Amino acid sequence: MAADGALLTLRDVTIGFGGVTALDAVGFDVQPGQILGLIGPNGAGKTTLFNCITRIYQPNSGDIRWQGEDLLRVPAHHLPKLGIARTFQNLALFGGMSVFDNTMSGGSSQARIGATSGLVGWPPSRSRTKKLRAKAWELLERLDLVALADAPAAGLPFGTLKRVELARALMAEPKLLLLDEPAGGLTHSEVKALGELIVSLRDDYGFAALLVEHHMGLVLGISDHVVALDFGNKIFEGSPEQVKHDPAVIAAYLGRAA
Amino acid sequence: MTTIDDTAAPSTAKPGARPGGKPKGPRFLVVQGTLPYRGLQLGAVLLVALLLLWASGLPAFRMGQITNVFIIAIAIAGLNLVTGYTGLLSIGHSAFFGLGAYTTGILIVKYEFAPLSTIPVAIGLCFVLGLLVGLPSLRIHGLYLALVTLAVAVSFPEIVRRAEELTGGAAGMVVRSRFLAPPEWTGLVRAERGIWMFWFSAAVLAVVMLLCRNLVRSRFGIAMRATRDNEIAAAANGISVARTKIVAFGISGAITGLAGSLFTMYMGALSPDGSFTLLKSIEFITGLVLGGVATQIGPLVGAFAVVFLPYLTASYTEGPLAGVVFGIVLIVIVFLMPEGIVGRVGILARKVVHIVPADHPRLGRADREGPPEPARAEQ
Ligand SMILES: Nc1ncnc2c1ncn2[C@@H]1O[C@H](COP(=O)(O)OP(=O)(O)OP(=O)(O)O)[C@@H](O)[C@H]1O
Ligand SMILES: [Mg+2]
Repeated sequence: MAADGALLTLRDVTIGFGGVTALDAVGFDVQPGQILGLIGPNGAGKTTLFNCITRIYQPNSGDIRWQGEDLLRVPAHHLPKLGIARTFQNLALFGGMSVFDNTMSGGSSQARIGATSGLVGWPPSRSRTKKLRAKAWELLERLDLVALADAPAAGLPFGTLKRVELARALMAEPKLLLLDEPAGGLTHSEVKALGELIVSLRDDYGFAALLVEHHMGLVLGISDHVVALDFGNKIFEGSPEQVKHDPAVIAAYLGRAA
Repeated sequence: MTTIDDTAAPSTAKPGARPGGKPKGPRFLVVQGTLPYRGLQLGAVLLVALLLLWASGLPAFRMGQITNVFIIAIAIAGLNLVTGYTGLLSIGHSAFFGLGAYTTGILIVKYEFAPLSTIPVAIGLCFVLGLLVGLPSLRIHGLYLALVTLAVAVSFPEIVRRAEELTGGAAGMVVRSRFLAPPEWTGLVRAERGIWMFWFSAAVLAVVMLLCRNLVRSRFGIAMRATRDNEIAAAANGISVARTKIVAFGISGAITGLAGSLFTMYMGALSPDGSFTLLKSIEFITGLVLGGVATQIGPLVGAFAVVFLPYLTASYTEGPLAGVVFGIVLIVIVFLMPEGIVGRVGILARKVVHIVPADHPRLGRADREGPPEPARAEQ
């Protein structure tokens, strides 16, 4: 049971909404530095699983552990400090704030945010802010967002905002990054570039990623390991090679398409 | 990796056309911390100083009105933190204004405090009341929270009326002018209280606006705006939404309470039904919306609007019609400038001048690819 060295351990995670069982005893591990592809047809429960991990939903039963620590006792806003950051499928940006400030907000866990030091412009807090700003610029450069740094988030294209969310999540210097459909709103060639970007970011910053994506080419191309869900059940776990030939996975996708 | 290029920072302001010649971008770039930027700041300070000097030569009645504007502006600056930047609508700020005012009044009259030494007490009490009023914001949202603050606003005058021994009840409380004389070090005599309060209010307003500017630009300010825009995302990014809301409410209440404290020194008379009812809260909200929600100068402009617009409309029309005209003017302003006066001016100004932070990575590059795009949501 105890997964040695795993970052995140999920065991028997179960949650229902009214009559719908969105997750039924789902369990798997995420290892450090690993890109784990999480696939499944619409409504399979992928986003719900993210919401359970990031403490937006409380599972009815089951166990979620972060390096052995019980995550279900940790408040949502402590997760970035532990090293868990996420992006949202349908975007959850701060519309009234600039792209730069959105990115800066991702560094909220990196140093204490003092209201008093904010009021008086206390020098130590200023120098912390300076470091975080440098980091934000670095990420904006990396994600090709510098030209938009000053623009309000509200009103930018969906695909651009997905990158802003990525920059914001990376500000937390995560050990585990949860990406919910990062390729949403992208064209075919952009998807390919995104895949390369995720891998290179992983190589540079060394995070593990839990990647939810419908774009099979992307998931199978960059994942080290794949888990498939259908109707809240784990129907497959294995390598990207195996999943292509797995009858249960094929049936789930074909069955839903019909 | 990091691309800040320090060599470019000093004194490289770059007036002139944008590289690439896009017609729509701002025409002037000003880099923060450079000489032109400092020049602009200095110019603004000088302009304000000149305006103040001019205003201090006005007849006593006008100067009193402007003092009133400053005090209302401080109150609105407090409201702006919680309603503008943190997104929690408060209809209860008349209670903070009142608590600050009565704290100062009671301490002077009953306990013979010097007026200035009542200020820290007023700020402290209002901070605590702010924390308390902020507590429900953890569980209830939007208009339901506004209802809680409404209850606070409505109950404040009632409490003042009941606590007759301390507050003088419905009859009110008078602070004798000998208690309110300007401090000796100013060299002003008692009859010059108007001049003293004018300069003192202006100085306090300047400090408050500076503190608010610091706060809003700080990481706590980012946390406030993030909480306003999306609570779930704020928490997912490590922001304690609960702490942010409560502390913002505390600071907000403290600043509006400070305004109340000045109000006592300015007026010298307090009554529960005078300036501390729901109407005062609505005046603050009106000023905030007219001036510009979540802007730094909006509270001051809004305070001018709520103090002087009624006079203006009354001078062009007579009798009850004045109220109607005032209402129409409000509607027209809000219709033409939904982002408020300062918000609108800011949008226009950014088409001409673009302020670039000094740590912008493209500043020192030989291959300058062009400055960042224009447009900022606020500030
Ligand atoms: N807050 C909620 N209230 C009620 N039902 C919910 C809620 N959240 C999720 N569900 C249900 O749980 C199931 C799983 O939804 P979920 O969003 O996790 O799917 P998904 O795998 O992310 O799908 P997609 O690929 O379309 O994003 C669906 O039947 C959905 O309707
Ligand atoms: Mg989903």
